[in-house]
Amino acid sequence: MSEGLPLIPRPIARIIERWADKRLAKPEHKTTLIRQRIYILPTRHGIIFCIMLLLILTGSINYENSAGYLLTFLLTGIGFLGMIHTHQNLNHLTLDAIAAKPVYAGQCAKFPVRISRENNKEHFNVVLQSRLSEKTSFNLFKNESESITDIPLTSKTRGMLQLGKIKVFTEFPLGLFHAWSWVEIDSRCLIYPAPESHLQPLKLSGENAGNKKVEVNGNDDFTSIRDYQKGDSPGQLAWKAIARSGKLQSKLFTGEAGNEIWLRWDDLAYHINTEQRLSILCHWILECDHKGLNYGLDIPGKIIQPASGLHHKNDTLKALALFSPVKHEQPYKNT
Amino acid sequence: MNSHIKIHETSEFWVLLPLFLVIIPHFPRLPSWVVVLLPVFFIWRLMTIKQPGLSPGKLLLVCIALLSISGIFLHYGTIFGRTAGTSLLCTLLGIKLLESNQQRDYMLLITLATFIIVTNFLFSQSIITVIYMLLMVILLTVSMISINQGNTVVPLKSRFKLASALVAQALPFMLILFVLFPRIPGALWQLPDDKNAAITGLSDTMSPGNISRLVQSDAIAFRVKFDTDIPEQHKLYWRGLILWYFNGQEWSQGNPNQTRQATLEAFSHRVEYTVTLEPHNKKWLFALDMPGKHAEDIIYDNNYLLRSKKTIESIHQYSLESYLNYRIGHSLSRWEQDAGLSLPVNSNTKTIALGEKWRNSFKNPEEIINHALQHFNRENFIYSMEPPLTPGFDPVDTFLFDTRKGFCEHYASSFTLLMRAAGIPARVVLGYQGGTLNPLNNYMTIRQGDAHAWSEVWLNNRGWVRIDPTAAIAPERIELNLNAALHQNDARPLYMHFNNGLLKQIRFYWDAIDNSWKQWVIAYDASIQKELLSSIINKKINYHDIIVMLIFSISIVAFTITLLITKPLVFSKQDPAQKLYIKFCQKMARKGLVKAAHEGPQDFAYRAEKEFPEKKSTIEFFIKLYINSHYRSRHNIEQINKMKKLIRNL
Repeated sequence: MSEGLPLIPRPIARIIERWADKRLAKPEHKTTLIRQRIYILPTRHGIIFCIMLLLILTGSINYENSAGYLLTFLLTGIGFLGMIHTHQNLNHLTLDAIAAKPVYAGQCAKFPVRISRENNKEHFNVVLQSRLSEKTSFNLFKNESESITDIPLTSKTRGMLQLGKIKVFTEFPLGLFHAWSWVEIDSRCLIYPAPESHLQPLKLSGENAGNKKVEVNGNDDFTSIRDYQKGDSPGQLAWKAIARSGKLQSKLFTGEAGNEIWLRWDDLAYHINTEQRLSILCHWILECDHKGLNYGLDIPGKIIQPASGLHHKNDTLKALALFSPVKHEQPYKNT
Repeated sequence: MNSHIKIHETSEFWVLLPLFLVIIPHFPRLPSWVVVLLPVFFIWRLMTIKQPGLSPGKLLLVCIALLSISGIFLHYGTIFGRTAGTSLLCTLLGIKLLESNQQRDYMLLITLATFIIVTNFLFSQSIITVIYMLLMVILLTVSMISINQGNTVVPLKSRFKLASALVAQALPFMLILFVLFPRIPGALWQLPDDKNAAITGLSDTMSPGNISRLVQSDAIAFRVKFDTDIPEQHKLYWRGLILWYFNGQEWSQGNPNQTRQATLEAFSHRVEYTVTLEPHNKKWLFALDMPGKHAEDIIYDNNYLLRSKKTIESIHQYSLESYLNYRIGHSLSRWEQDAGLSLPVNSNTKTIALGEKWRNSFKNPEEIINHALQHFNRENFIYSMEPPLTPGFDPVDTFLFDTRKGFCEHYASSFTLLMRAAGIPARVVLGYQGGTLNPLNNYMTIRQGDAHAWSEVWLNNRGWVRIDPTAAIAPERIELNLNAALHQNDARPLYMHFNNGLLKQIRFYWDAIDNSWKQWVIAYDASIQKELLSSIINKKINYHDIIVMLIFSISIVAFTITLLITKPLVFSKQDPAQKLYIKFCQKMARKGLVKAAHEGPQDFAYRAEKEFPEKKSTIEFFIKLYINSHYRSRHNIEQINKMKKLIRNL
């Protein structure tokens, strides 16, 4: 954990964490915090509170002050109950992962976690934090059946980003105790390569070497208008036609009328490395999609036939994200 | 962990409020400049909520802090001790407040506020103070919750509910720990001498006007619980001090009597009673005239006066036996002879001359005494709480021959001086006379208003005999009380005007509550604890037993409360939809349609719909919601509310 535990030197905190790891349940889609996996220690304020109790107790003993005794013992009770309530603020919470929306590398991936509980107890200021993430907190009010909180995690490289172990902790209500639990929820987020537009722009005619020659002169140069189909890009919408007819219509461009573009790994200059290639391809996909073209993807180990639409875009981007160079190195070199 | 988190703006007021409220009871005790300064700090702090630019810089704060601390040092000459320490704490709270805007700072402020609550108890442990401070603890708990609520705002109502629940759940802990935490007798260190502690009570000197000033106070001096029959009102003389030395203006103790005491000869049954003495910062103890047997920790003075071994700074209980008819001082020692006959030099000469005249004109001391008392009675002397001032070097002469209007101290003083001049050894006794019996609990309350002064004279064969000259001039004072003795038009202390009818009854109730509080809570100490616990387990108890009892009881309480919090009772956990379904079945059964054991909700609903076609849609909808909620576990408060409405329509 980036912050460690309160009042505990880092090395000891690490030992505690290693010990707790052994008790950690296998990654599951859904985890309920149970007593056996909730740990609790006093905070710095908890220790100060304790010292204060000792001081006023000594004062009460010395001055034989009954009201002082009453106050000391009342506060002792409140401190103890603060511990129970802090523990209860975590106990029986169920954390359950919701599918995370894919993002491009470098963007902030958000892992939504749904928090629910069996009874109707209130939970306040429970904090979620993964190894690298910022803290996010949530509340569960009465009559609120669940709360959904995003754990933000900055993605560095493409691929499948695992949420990994997260720490759930709270110091509510009194801040005297720090109760926490480590949970491993099986939540992953697809990270697409970051689009790269400068290294090699998409050339839509000539050497881009589709099987057929592609002629795309601009957005206005469309051939026909047809009814909107699911998957058409917003850039394709024929606004004038929509205004006239009152229903959604899309423009069909020259290139689309039967021409296809292949986005090929091998079309890229040889000095460009794997990750840069993926980034360039990513940018190309986005550009093609924006223009509503039919495009196919040809990368080592995976060939996706030309098509268009949202699903196709996602499929191609996923192929880029999960591209594994090691597996395909050999056949690639041979060609 | 969240130390750097700023607290939410809307919560700030609720964090500041209890900090201010805890210092309010201190205001009468603080130097006036501190009383002015503290609200200024709070208003300043409140203004910075809206305009953060107004918050003072580090340098300014350090200057304010240094100035305030040196101000307190200059005012008291110290920064320790009760009042100086309290002023310092309150000022520090105000200064710390100005630079506080983070969670960490506020936690520190709450700690400071708790210390200030404790310092309040050094001045007052009354039931009102303690209830007020309990409310403060709830408010401080609200503060702690507000500080730890994070970025979101927990509704104020929820914060109050949670804080009250925390305090309520903590009460059993408080009770168990209070009763069973082993009490250690005696102080660990001495209380720093605090000259500012002003407690109303008798002083060890007597001059004209100081008792009549004291009786203006309604404060309780002590309470008495009699184990034997309660003596008649006019025999209730509570002895406290003996004044031997008179300088012409003021009576004082002089050098304490070095003569060894003679034994007490008792002629009547003994009276057994327990005194609960309010703290008066002195060592003397009051006893019914005349105490015999006493506990070990009480010193028996040579004049049958009782002294505690340490200053009475907290409420103190002691049990005594007294005899109403007795003889002390069978023989007079040389010291007593000298001190009991000594006269002031060059003052009150007319009084001394009168005494000497009586000495020559009467045969024996008894006649002189009677004549003196008749003199007060015959010569138009008036008993008054507001006597004319008797300035000058001869206050007794002025009173006896001029003003003739006085309170008990005037009569005791002049009578004692007359006796000495007439050759009868005499001394002034200070204490209380009478008391009010509370019929609700049979406790007798002796207030400062019962303060009294009388004389003791030494007679051959009879020893020291109590003579109360006030009884000769105002017998109602002794037979009843001060109020009855005062003239109709005479000025009275305020409290006497509220002492009749319903108000008197309320006073008795309040007195009974106050008394129980003092007997059971404030006076609870090592000896009472031992006594109480011994009576529970029926054997003599030691510290080991107390600790075992404490651990045992606190474990049970902790376990029970934890269980109650973590596992709410079963019925409250039941699915609300299920409850409503049971209600539905009961309603149907009342209409003659009983659900068979094998029947599921769907089948039962079909049957019900056939039976009551006019309610078909309602039943259908209800069952649909129930199945949705119970079997598909879609808990939704709206659905439940809908179901409730439907069932009402059935």
